[in-house]
Amino acid sequence: MCARVVVRLSEDREPLVTEGWSGRSPGDPADAATRSTGVVIAAVALVALSWLALALAPDSDAEGRMRDAAVAGPRVPLPSALARFRPGTAWLPDDPMLGFEEIPGGPFVMGSDPARDSLSFDVEWWGNGRVQGQPDLPTFYMARYEVTVAQYGAFVNASGHLVLDARAVQAPPDHPVTWIAWTDAIAYADWLDGELRARADAGDLDSAIAGLLRGGWRVTHPTEAQWEKAARGNDGRIYPWGDTPDPGFANYRARSTTAVGSFDCPSCAHGLSDMSGNVWEWTISPYQPYPFTDADDAETMRSEALWVMRGGSFGDPERMIRAANRGGADPGARRPFIGLRVALVPG
Amino acid sequence: MSQSSATPVERSVANLVMPLVLGGTIVALAHSARVQSSTLLTQSFLGAAGVLGAWSLLLIVVPTLRQASGRIETTLRAQHYIQAFCQFSVYAYWGWYWRPVYDMGVLIAAQILFAYGFSMLLSWSRGRLYTLGFGPIPIIGSINLFLWFRDDWFYLQFLMIAVGFLGKEFIRWQRDGRSAHIFNPSAFALGLFSLVLIAAGSTDLTWGQEIASTLTLAPRIYLFLFLVGLVVMYFFEITLVAGSAAAVLFLLSAASFQITGVPYFIDSEIPAAVFLGLHLLITDPSTSPRTPVGKTIFGAFYGLGVFGLYALLGAMGAPTFYDKLLCVPLLNLSVRAIDHFVRSRKWTEAWTAATDIAARPVWISPRLNLMRMAVWILFFGVMSMTGRTDGQHTGDAVPFWEQACADGRGNACERLIQLEASYCGDNSAWACNELGLHYRSGTITEVDAELGRSYLARACELRYQPACMNLLEPSRSVRTEPRPLDLRLMLREGGLNLMQMEIPALLDRACAHEWSFACQRIASRS
Repeated sequence: MCARVVVRLSEDREPLVTEGWSGRSPGDPADAATRSTGVVIAAVALVALSWLALALAPDSDAEGRMRDAAVAGPRVPLPSALARFRPGTAWLPDDPMLGFEEIPGGPFVMGSDPARDSLSFDVEWWGNGRVQGQPDLPTFYMARYEVTVAQYGAFVNASGHLVLDARAVQAPPDHPVTWIAWTDAIAYADWLDGELRARADAGDLDSAIAGLLRGGWRVTHPTEAQWEKAARGNDGRIYPWGDTPDPGFANYRARSTTAVGSFDCPSCAHGLSDMSGNVWEWTISPYQPYPFTDADDAETMRSEALWVMRGGSFGDPERMIRAANRGGADPGARRPFIGLRVALVPG
Repeated sequence: MSQSSATPVERSVANLVMPLVLGGTIVALAHSARVQSSTLLTQSFLGAAGVLGAWSLLLIVVPTLRQASGRIETTLRAQHYIQAFCQFSVYAYWGWYWRPVYDMGVLIAAQILFAYGFSMLLSWSRGRLYTLGFGPIPIIGSINLFLWFRDDWFYLQFLMIAVGFLGKEFIRWQRDGRSAHIFNPSAFALGLFSLVLIAAGSTDLTWGQEIASTLTLAPRIYLFLFLVGLVVMYFFEITLVAGSAAAVLFLLSAASFQITGVPYFIDSEIPAAVFLGLHLLITDPSTSPRTPVGKTIFGAFYGLGVFGLYALLGAMGAPTFYDKLLCVPLLNLSVRAIDHFVRSRKWTEAWTAATDIAARPVWISPRLNLMRMAVWILFFGVMSMTGRTDGQHTGDAVPFWEQACADGRGNACERLIQLEASYCGDNSAWACNELGLHYRSGTITEVDAELGRSYLARACELRYQPACMNLLEPSRSVRTEPRPLDLRLMLREGGLNLMQMEIPALLDRACAHEWSFACQRIASRS
């Protein structure tokens, strides 16, 4: 006997039949009905479990991940304290100006004179019959240190910014952040600008920097002219500390990064650290032939421009860490030797 | 037409080892490089093998179960192996142009093994003999033509197969005096899981979108599917089902275009995946009507269902590629009502003797089937010649949608976003930049600054300089014409590889797709 449950849909239709689990042997129809009900319950439970599994599943698409990350809470482990840095203010340096050093306005020597600097590359020559130029820049502020892993981690945790290469946040917290693309650098500066502006409005910052922010100054990355001026001062020196290389002032010809500010360099221009070596630093200048002007940046619009990075890295020789040296990289390049530094510029 | 050959029933306890062997083979496949590439995928394989193994042992160990197990009858049904052959020819052709299909080979093989083992154990557990044949292959073939779970969720693929077979086994009714399963097993599993995925907001756990959109990477895919479909039509007389579904969709699409001024479906008058579905998903003779009029109604309902669901899913913000899957179980449920309606003859009283033919079972009219196939060939030929299938389609052209969006036509702005998102997904930086600006400005969609930024960042990282400038200066919106690489990605409808196309030919193609800058350059060149 085949056990089955008959469900009549309507009088004039053939019955809907659900066969029981034990179709193989004779038995009580009521028993078969019970077994059939069990099967239905099992099927419903199966579907419910699938539903639950799916409902708990994280989004696998990038947009979904980005949205999830924004509410997922801290993901980068940060220390409770770090010497020289202020945890409550995005881990910026613990001083009234949050590590921003003033670079006074005025002209400076940009580019290289091969007669004075035999290691120079031709891309550093100014053009138009000159080897060096003298751009005149208004006053701006440059961060004393490269952006650290802790600072970038604070940004990631607060904004939910996607970390596409986990190695970006795996170095010690006071080392420069690396493995980040130009687009990540821009996102960091935008976030820091908003963060400091909010703190300035809330009265949490020193009056000097708060006044600049209220006056329209903004946090961004330096142009390559700003970077070079900050690195070599106004006297056209080849390295931030002078004209001869000195391994006591910078991390180069080495195997890895060091904590930012590890090299004491009292003679370095503007008191900035690691302008030579440690990591290359993204700028907001597209890579173009000299003479430098930021008025022609739009001319690269139809080309696949590289973005200028400056300063050389821990693995480079003397030639690469000169203040006038220019590097270029894809905006999507994430490398162990490229990091960033921020600047505070007039709006 | 029912073609099968059967061997006498064999009963052997040794047969009980067969599911164990199938499970063991799945374990062996778990050691392939493709499966080992993901820990969760490997675990899914081992889990599926474990289920078969544990179930087999249960049948061996429990005396009452053991007594009733092990009976096998071999029956080779033409409808199974011909359908399987057709499905795998589609895999072979499609996979040639989209390699993930070939990469799925070992995963499909494991599913087939699992399907055999599961159905075998299910039959024996119910005290019935197991009919060994090609039956499980077209079920797996059909499921995988429409939905694969991603590697980390692949255990749900095995679960989907199990649900399909459970549905076939337990959800039955009396039809023409015989017990028959209500739902097409693959369509039931696909429909049920699609519903769950949509309801749980987890549609991205599958490759469904990619599957639906990559069919057209194979050149002349409509023609290929049409030819494959002819084989199925010849043997199983499904011409009326597929033909009426296609006709309804073509007609509704055309009517929609006339009314709204924009194409209903983006990439063609009838999406390739739907075209595939109406040949290989709804044409199971066991779960579709048996009279010509019934088949026509069934196909027409499928066309209406897909058409309606496409709009409904789009309005819900759900992926529209589920349109072809969700309505099939409902159609299966309507089969008996359709048969009943046709045979009631209440509506045919005014009909002539031709009606009498229409109400007869189709297997008595093979010549009629050939006639219907001839009509279908003519219909498809006309559609192809007028560019309704593989040819250029208005819905592919971004400039068309930009203009339609600017004119405020229909849901053109949503379609524009959808199309640009698709091209951005193909790494067209130009499309990513456009999307980023749309989301940032909110002119044609809701403002979503973060999403806008992420699209601009993607475009920038694809070395599209205007997007980098847009990231740098949020107050400005820099746009340019698409670069040659973008055109190569956005103009490849029909699956053409344009990577080697010369620039003049590329511009000609762009001009034909309404890119005005390309037309201007051609004009200035000449």
